[in-house]
Amino acid sequence: MSPERALRIGVGGPVGSGKSSLIAALCRELSAELRLGVVTNDIYTTEDAEFLRAAGVLASERIVAVQTGCCPHTAIRDDITVNLEAVEELERDQGPLGLVLVESGGDNLTAVFSPALADVQIFVIDVAGGDDVPRKGGPGIARADLLVVNKTDLAPYVGSDVRRMLADARARRGELPVHALSLVSPPHARPVADWIREQVARYVAGGGHVRSSASGAPDPHHAHPHAHSHG
Amino acid sequence: MSAAGAVASLLLADSRFPAGTYAHSLGLEQAVAEGLDVDGVAPFMSARLRLVAQPDAALSVAARRAAATGADGEPGLADLDVEHAARCPSPILRDVARRLGSQLLRSAAAAWPCGTIDRYRADSATTPRPVALGVVGAVAGLSDLELAMVALYDDAATVACAALKLLGLDPAQTARWLAELAPRIGAMASEVADDVRPVAQQPPPAAIAIELAAARHAQRRERFFVS
Repeated sequence: MSPERALRIGVGGPVGSGKSSLIAALCRELSAELRLGVVTNDIYTTEDAEFLRAAGVLASERIVAVQTGCCPHTAIRDDITVNLEAVEELERDQGPLGLVLVESGGDNLTAVFSPALADVQIFVIDVAGGDDVPRKGGPGIARADLLVVNKTDLAPYVGSDVRRMLADARARRGELPVHALSLVSPPHARPVADWIREQVARYVAGGGHVRSSASGAPDPHHAHPHAHSHG
Repeated sequence: MSAAGAVASLLLADSRFPAGTYAHSLGLEQAVAEGLDVDGVAPFMSARLRLVAQPDAALSVAARRAAATGADGEPGLADLDVEHAARCPSPILRDVARRLGSQLLRSAAAAWPCGTIDRYRADSATTPRPVALGVVGAVAGLSDLELAMVALYDDAATVACAALKLLGLDPAQTARWLAELAPRIGAMASEVADDVRPVAQQPPPAAIAIELAAARHAQRRERFFVS
């Protein structure tokens, strides 16, 4: 049985880590095989939506921008109604879609998507934001379904140790995947696109169900009654 | 009035209730862009109370009565949707009301599962927030007075919260504005709750400046808030 709605993937991470560029690259990779929609949560302007429209990777009516009243973390976690409305309207007007990407406004390391908004989520950090970020951890680093360490091409110029970042991230994340990425050299966004293909296939095979690694556990460092399930 | 209804009114007025209002300044963002400063915020809140929030509260109370009784002869919820549209000439503000109403109903349907909210969500094409709030108020057990207080307070508090992000302010200052407005909000709420006239016979004042500013706001490229 095919799912009633598109798979929803949240893309979060700090300001400037390359979320919009990654989404543009993913649209380029995936738009031939998947009917895609994008909801952007811009902090101040509709710049992210305009960037995607200008990139010409997706019909402009399949890109929607919502304002979040200076509260980007609220819009993806504490009160997701603005985003849910936007996603559902997009699916109603442009549907049926196979995948909706929800781009969070750039935020801090504690901002993760509610599982009621995103079925699975990608957290994007970059080498120029400091190579101690994975060691510091936080919910995005530790529990996102996929962690992307972006802009690896810049590492020599900003004195970041990519291997250390990946090792720290893996220590934080157990079995959960981490991809180092550079959008300026091959294979570009392909590893992330392949991960998304897997998620879509699992979602469709499961009749519209996936379990996010970010749901359920408030903090992996605290004892909690329910065991993690990453299966 | 019941204690349970009073507690439910706290829940509805709590900014932690997920109904999407944090993304709205209710016109303050545009007013600040056009020169309103810190000293102008409290008068702005007062003007909204009189021109927008009080007529909206009257609609909410009418909707609560309609949803609670479903009596023949009273205006039904569909009539009240039309009343709202007639009172809100700005298509931009009608759309804002539709979205805010829809967001409120979405969370309220989870908080108070019942057929009343589900039916209104299914039947109404426009779900204006004042009518939606009345439906939720009926289900949550609010009295007319409690509902009018929530409607009025929520309007002022949404503006006050946005002021913190738009102007450099001590957060305690916004609490002071709301505290100073409390007697006025209380009196207005009583007036709305005690008014037994059908809502169609309660002509609202025109809020032309607010409607025109909303149109300018919607055209801005740089903005934090939906409205």
